[in-house]
Amino acid sequence: MQNAKDTFYITLRNRLATLNPARTMTLRGITRPGILAEDAEAPMPQPLLDAFTLRWTRLDTDTQLPSILAQMVCEIHYATAGTQTNSGLNRGRVLEEMDDELIQILCPSSTIKFNYTQTPAVQMSTMLFWSQALFSPATAVRERMERVATVNVFAFQEPGEQ
Amino acid sequence: MADLSTQNPTSYSLQMATALLRTNGGTTANLLMPPATGDAADTGQLGIDAPNFQSLPLSPAVFRKLRATMKEGDATKYELLIAAAAVQAAVGDLQLSSADTLFAMAAGVVIDGKLFLIEAKAVSEHLGEVYIYRLLLRESTAEWPMQSST
Repeated sequence: MQNAKDTFYITLRNRLATLNPARTMTLRGITRPGILAEDAEAPMPQPLLDAFTLRWTRLDTDTQLPSILAQMVCEIHYATAGTQTNSGLNRGRVLEEMDDELIQILCPSSTIKFNYTQTPAVQMSTMLFWSQALFSPATAVRERMERVATVNVFAFQEPGEQ
Repeated sequence: MADLSTQNPTSYSLQMATALLRTNGGTTANLLMPPATGDAADTGQLGIDAPNFQSLPLSPAVFRKLRATMKEGDATKYELLIAAAAVQAAVGDLQLSSADTLFAMAAGVVIDGKLFLIEAKAVSEHLGEVYIYRLLLRESTAEWPMQSST
């Protein structure tokens, strides 16, 4: 399952870097595309603004198939306070831009699975694929506007895969 | 209307705060900072590589427990008072733009071998000059034995 989660993150990150190279963040001394896997970073009191945070929640497995099919739920959290130039009054528009970016980086909704524990990453035999995003209503917390998109990610467990 | 009266900041408040913190049980807090050359590899972003956080000692500091919350599942909260002189020196050494950046970069604080997470930050200032940084800390639930200092 971990290979599927790693591949999903790297795929979205690479697509985001191509789609909007300006959406970057600086984390642990590195400036990188504005997307992160929450469980691979230090705990934060609040999610980063203007970046996508991937949080893995539910896991279901179908063991009736020749290979185990794992279904994992990924919550993609994002928030913005708008831009300084507009004194934050464009936070609704900026959130809408992030909605649009997320829709675009989730398409196409499949990719080949890689094993990133080896360098260079090793291509695996199966694909992972995911559902369309379900967007929650936007919530306003003081000057922040936030939204959560939920995606179901499916991947087959390959022999020998942990 | 703006207050245009002359207010010359002096270092007296800084020195006073440093002396007060030192005499009131001054301890050393170690910020966990990312290494100067960050890990740009995919493995660094996936939690495969060790982050190799460096310990940045700040002293004098005073560490105290806040009023117990007595709420089930709530981690105990603490307050850390750090002398602004120490923070300014660290900001200068690391060539950062501000103390905000310093604390935003920190992955946690180690005090007496225990790890704490930074929840919030506030400052006390006099004549526009910050003399104490106050961090609200939450006790980490991961019971890792940490090294107190480098």
